[in-house]
Amino acid sequence: MTPSTLFSLSQVSFKIGEKSILNSIAFQVFQNELLCITGPSGAGKTSLIRLLNGLQSPSSGTLLFHGKTLSEMDFTLLRKKVGMVFQNPVILEGSVRDNLSLANRWAQSESGFQDTDLMLSLDKVGLSAIPLEQNASDLSGGEQQRLNLARVLLNQPEVLLLDEPTANLDGKQADKILDLVRDLTQSYALTTVMISHDEARVRQYGDRILYMDQGKFVSS
Amino acid sequence: MTQSFYIISWMDVLVSFVLIALSIGLIRWMKIGLEQSLIIGTIRTFLQLGLMGYVLTWFFTQDNWLFMVCLILGMILIAGFEGTRRQKEYKIPHLFWILTGSILTAVLIVLGIILKFILDVEPWFYPYAMIPIAGMIIGNALNSSTLAVNRFIGEMKHREHEIEMLLSLGASPRNAIDDAMKSALRAALLPNINGLMMVGLVQLPGVMTGQILSGVDPLIAVRYQIMIMYMWISTVAITDILVLLLVYRQFFTEKAQLKKSLLRSAL
Repeated sequence: MTPSTLFSLSQVSFKIGEKSILNSIAFQVFQNELLCITGPSGAGKTSLIRLLNGLQSPSSGTLLFHGKTLSEMDFTLLRKKVGMVFQNPVILEGSVRDNLSLANRWAQSESGFQDTDLMLSLDKVGLSAIPLEQNASDLSGGEQQRLNLARVLLNQPEVLLLDEPTANLDGKQADKILDLVRDLTQSYALTTVMISHDEARVRQYGDRILYMDQGKFVSS
Repeated sequence: MTQSFYIISWMDVLVSFVLIALSIGLIRWMKIGLEQSLIIGTIRTFLQLGLMGYVLTWFFTQDNWLFMVCLILGMILIAGFEGTRRQKEYKIPHLFWILTGSILTAVLIVLGIILKFILDVEPWFYPYAMIPIAGMIIGNALNSSTLAVNRFIGEMKHREHEIEMLLSLGASPRNAIDDAMKSALRAALLPNINGLMMVGLVQLPGVMTGQILSGVDPLIAVRYQIMIMYMWISTVAITDILVLLLVYRQFFTEKAQLKKSLLRSAL
């Protein structure tokens, strides 16, 4: 059975000012796969996944999600379905609870996250031992990265975009995060796009590996 | 002792140059090198305010509502222009209209309440009340909104990653910048609120001092000053909130994306 296509990009280019970041990219992301994109710094990997979350739009080309042009979609809805974890975990002042329940600030009162939702999400990322009251800035780098992942999972996304999730971690911590990403992808039928410059490490995790250089996909 | 009202003649004003001479002497003694600026400033103060006295005298004799409305609109446009000039390094789209519109709104509300419900002047455009009060509102709105915009942009730069993270979770731009806006507004309003706490304890405010020197009963002067303090805080609150609610939109695309290049173009 052919897996269904979630994202489909054709002739996608992206520029910042006059500088070309992505050059006529074409590729697909299939449902329930763990796709790893590697390549050197400055290859355009981060720009590419920012396009998928709608944080920026292509300068030209077509970008479809579930067969629909991204620009036709409600961006706040799209971003809930396509969650993104940034390279440097963003931790705000306050407790673990404050950091997880950010969306409660703008949710309708009845649809806000309860403590049970937050604890379930912490459990998914292996942080069940961390109390909700704990000051989030006291967590280690690895724990902060997991907290960011838990925050994204609360939205129950279809797609998980991970920008260099292991960049700030030592080897052992990095493997643990990657194990977690693989488990989450399988257990919750997620589609994951992970970018990393550490090709050797992600090679053993990805269902598919793509290489990028100078704003294009190249064969390894 | 009877209440007296001392008129200062132009000759008396010239005598006050003694104070400037004293300052220049001190500046020379300390070799600060500001003599020339001080002399230019002294002459400009004399000429600008002297001229303003004659202009105001003429304005006050104008018994024409359309003239007064045009005058106030002209003052608001100048404030909008000046505010835009102060922020020119940021290149915020539509800033002139944002500032002008916000200041106009503050003037309509605050000046309207004061003229109609507090002073209850007759005619409603009574120049002796309208011109100085509008001037205070516009000047205060200009200064505080400039500071609020600066502070807000500083907060947004500082929180750029936080704002994008919130957007990526599905927050609207308004929700994503909420903390930055609250922080900027707090910083803009706090000095004014502190001013309410301290007024009269350390020094007498300018308007009240001026009125008392002009022979007005201190109890009347105090009432004017209280009204003016409340006027200031409401002007700042109205203008700054309106300006920031309009300015933040300029930093996002219609697809709720942060315009990072615009944010970074600011120094």
